[in-house]
Amino acid sequence: MHMSPKASSKPVDSTASSELGDQIAEMRAIYERIFPTQHLRYVLRLGENAIWSHPEVLEGVHVPGPHDMGAQFLGMIDRPGANADAPEVTIKIAVPRQALPYELKQTDAPWKPQARLGRLFAANPMAYEYIRYQAEIRRKKRSRKFQSTALPLGEGTDLLPKPQRPASDKRPAALIGMHWLETGGAEKLGFDSIRWALESGLRVFVVASVASIQRLAHKLPDHPDVTFIRLDRWLPHHLWPRFVEKLVLDENITLVHNHHCIPLYETLPLLRSRLPWVKTLDSTHIVEHADGGYPRTSGVWSNYLDMQHVISRELVGYLRDGFNAPSGRVVLGRMLDRAEDDAPAPELRLKTGQKTLHVAFIGRMYYQKRPIVAVETLRALDAWATRNGVEFSATMVGEGPFEGAVTRLLRRYGLGGKVVQMPGNADVPALLGRSDILILPSNNEGLALVCYEAIAHGCIPISTRVGAQDELLPDELLVPLAPHATVRQTVFAVDRMWHDNGFLQRQKDGLAQRWRQLSDDPTAEEVLKPVYRAAAETVQGN
Amino acid sequence: MSVLNKTAAVIVTFNRSGKLMKVLDALAAQTMRPDIVLVVDNASTDDTAELVEARARDDGSIRHLRLPRNVGGAGGFHAGMKAAFQMGAQYFWISDDDAYPEPNAIERLHDALTGFQSENGWRPSFACSRVEWIDGSLCEMNCPRPVWDWARFVQPGKPWALLDSCSFVSVMIPRWAVAEHGLPIADYFIWFDDAEYTRRIARSYPGIFVPESRVIHDTPDNRGVNFGLVDDKSLWKFKYGARNETSFRRREGGLINVLAYAYGVRGQMRAGDVPHRLRRQIYGAILKGLSFRPKIERA
Repeated sequence: MHMSPKASSKPVDSTASSELGDQIAEMRAIYERIFPTQHLRYVLRLGENAIWSHPEVLEGVHVPGPHDMGAQFLGMIDRPGANADAPEVTIKIAVPRQALPYELKQTDAPWKPQARLGRLFAANPMAYEYIRYQAEIRRKKRSRKFQSTALPLGEGTDLLPKPQRPASDKRPAALIGMHWLETGGAEKLGFDSIRWALESGLRVFVVASVASIQRLAHKLPDHPDVTFIRLDRWLPHHLWPRFVEKLVLDENITLVHNHHCIPLYETLPLLRSRLPWVKTLDSTHIVEHADGGYPRTSGVWSNYLDMQHVISRELVGYLRDGFNAPSGRVVLGRMLDRAEDDAPAPELRLKTGQKTLHVAFIGRMYYQKRPIVAVETLRALDAWATRNGVEFSATMVGEGPFEGAVTRLLRRYGLGGKVVQMPGNADVPALLGRSDILILPSNNEGLALVCYEAIAHGCIPISTRVGAQDELLPDELLVPLAPHATVRQTVFAVDRMWHDNGFLQRQKDGLAQRWRQLSDDPTAEEVLKPVYRAAAETVQGN
Repeated sequence: MSVLNKTAAVIVTFNRSGKLMKVLDALAAQTMRPDIVLVVDNASTDDTAELVEARARDDGSIRHLRLPRNVGGAGGFHAGMKAAFQMGAQYFWISDDDAYPEPNAIERLHDALTGFQSENGWRPSFACSRVEWIDGSLCEMNCPRPVWDWARFVQPGKPWALLDSCSFVSVMIPRWAVAEHGLPIADYFIWFDDAEYTRRIARSYPGIFVPESRVIHDTPDNRGVNFGLVDDKSLWKFKYGARNETSFRRREGGLINVLAYAYGVRGQMRAGDVPHRLRRQIYGAILKGLSFRPKIERA
C-alpha cells in the first residue's frame, strides 16, 4: 500500500522558514564577529521563550551529548575556521519562538497583592500601601552596605607602549547602550541621543542589555547609519566585552554612550586598557533601589568614564560628593527642549473658588508611580470637591501591571464615571492643557519631566518629596512619601489654593521662578551634541 | 511558526482488536501520517497484542505499549502521552480505538493549529475534529464545549470556533501545552479525564473546533452523557464521572461549585426517572469526589 509522507517531513511554510532564516542570520552575525577565525559549531534548538535564546558558548572541543539533541533540536551549522587548526567553539542556542499577542502588549503579569496580604488589600488598600511603604523605607536604609567609592584606575607608565588607534576607512561611529527599547524616561533620552548622534555625523550602533520584546525598536531612526544589534537576545553578558572590542575595531567606534546598560559598564576596563582612544560617557537619572541604581553604578565607574551626564543638580552632588568625581566630568543637561524654553513663563490655570476641578495622573502603572495611592488621592479629592460644591473629574494615563487593580478600585469607589483611564499613547499635552492639577505620588523620581510639561501647559503639579523634585516644585506643593500623608497633604494643598488666593499666588510665583531657573540650565542636547560632534570629527591618532 | 512537526498518535485500547485494526488502517491512509502510532494496550485479553505486533513488523511507526494491568482510559492516555512526550513528539493526536479518522483528518487539525497562530497570533491549546456517529450524525458524547466568545475568529473557510474543552476522540495537542500543563490525570480511571485535561490546558488559550477534520466514532449507540440515562449497566461509568467531576469542581471552584453540580445531577436524574437506589450511589460518588484529590503529573 502506498503511504503518504510522515508528519515530520511535512514541508515548512515559507513564512516560518524565512523567519527562522532571519533569526539564524542575526545570531550568526554576532558570533562570527567575535570569533572571525575559529571553527564554529552551532547547535540549534527551538526555543520555548519568546525573548531569550539561552546561549551556551563552549570554547574548545565539545562532543555532542543526548542533552544537545532533544525534542526541540533543530540541527547544526558548521562554519569552518580560517585554517585547519582553528580552535573549535560550540554555540548551543535556542531560536526564540514568536511572541504571543499578550506578550507583545504587556511584559509583566498583572499586579496582585502579595499572597498573605491579599485580604488586607481587599479590606483596606491604604493599609497595604503603608506596609509596602515601610518595606521600601527599610530597603532604602539597607543601601548603605553597597559600594559607594569609585574604582581606582591606574594611568600606567610611559615606559610601556600604549595601544594606538588603528587606521580605518569607515566613518566614525558611536555605540549607544540602552537598558531596553521599551517605554521609560531613560529610554526617551536614549532615543534622543541616537538622533543627536546621527545628526552629528556619527554612524550609530545600538544595543540593549535586557532581553525583551523591544517594542519601541520601530522608533529607531529609519536610516542606513543606524543599526540595532540584538545582543540582548543572543549574547551572554560575559561575552559582551569581546564583542564590543571587535565592533570598535571593525566599525571605527570612537564613542560609547551608556544609558543604563550594565554589561556595557563591564566593558569599561577593556575599553580603557586596549582601546583608550574611545570616549566613554553615561547618562543617569534617578537614585533608586536599595543599591542606589544606575547613578551608584556610574559613581563606581567614575574613573573609567570621560563624562557623566546627569539630569538634575541632586545627581551632580551625588556623584561629586559621594564618589569624588572631578567637577568637570559630571555634567548637568536637563531633559528639556530649548526651543520651547524660550517662551515666557506660562499662565497657571487654577483659580480660587473655581467651580470645576480636573486632576491628571500620568505615569506607567508600576509601583514606582504608586497608582493605588493616586486612586486614593482622587477619591479624597472627590470627597473634598463634593463638600465644597466643586464638580470633580480626573484622567489617569498609563499602562502596566497595576492597570487592572486601578480599574477595579475606581469602580469600587464609584469613581468610574468621574475618572477616565487612557492608554500610554494618549495626547498628554492636550490633557495637561485642560487639567488644573497634576498629582505625582511616586515612590521615587529623578526630576519628573511630566511636572515640567504640566507647568508649561498651565497645570499645577503636586508631587511627593522625592529625588530632585524640589528643583522644580515649591515646598508647599511637595507632599510626604508616607501614603496616608501623601493623600492628606495633597488634598490640603488643593484646599488651601482653592480657598486662599495669596497662597495660590505664592505657589504660582514659586513654580514660575523654578521653571525659569530650570529653563536656564543647559539641556541634554546642548551638552551631548558637542561631544558627539567631536567624536565624529576625530581622526586617527586623536 | 511550525518548523518541527513530529506527530504521535496515541490510541488507548482494551479488547477491541477488530475496531483497533480499522483505526490503524485509517492512520496508515492519512495524508499526514503520524511519525509514531502508539497503541496503549490496557492489558487486553483478546488477540490485540498479536495483531498489533504483527502490524508493527511491517510498519516501523507502530509502537505497542502494553500496560501490565487495565488502568482505564485515563491511565492509558496518561501513559501514552508521557511516552510520546519522551519520544520527542511536537504534536499529540489523541483518540479512541473505535474512532476512524477520515484520510485528511490529522493534516487538517495540524493545518488549523498552525494556521490559526499565523493568522491571529494566538496559540490554540488543542484542535479537535467533528466527531460523527456511524450514520453521519453528530456523535452526542463528543460534542465540544465552546467558550463564550467562540465566534471571535470564525470566518468563511476558517470556521474555527474557540473551545473550552473536548473529548479525547481525535484531538491534536501541541507539545508546549503538555510541557506547560502536565499530563492527564491517570487516577480518574475513566470519564472526565478529557474534559479536565482540555480545560486545564485551555487556561493558556482556548482550543479550536476544526469541522473540516472528520472522524467516525463507531459506538454501539449514539447517546450523550446525561445522568438521566443512568442504568444498572452504565452505573459504574457514571460513578467515575460523578466522582471525577466533583473532584475537579472542588479544585477549581470550591464547595459552592460542587453544590451547583450536585443540584444539576439531581435534576437530570429526576427528569430521567432514575431509580432511587442508583441515585444514592451517584450521590455517594459525589461525596467521594469531595475528598478525592489526584495529583497532576508533569511531563
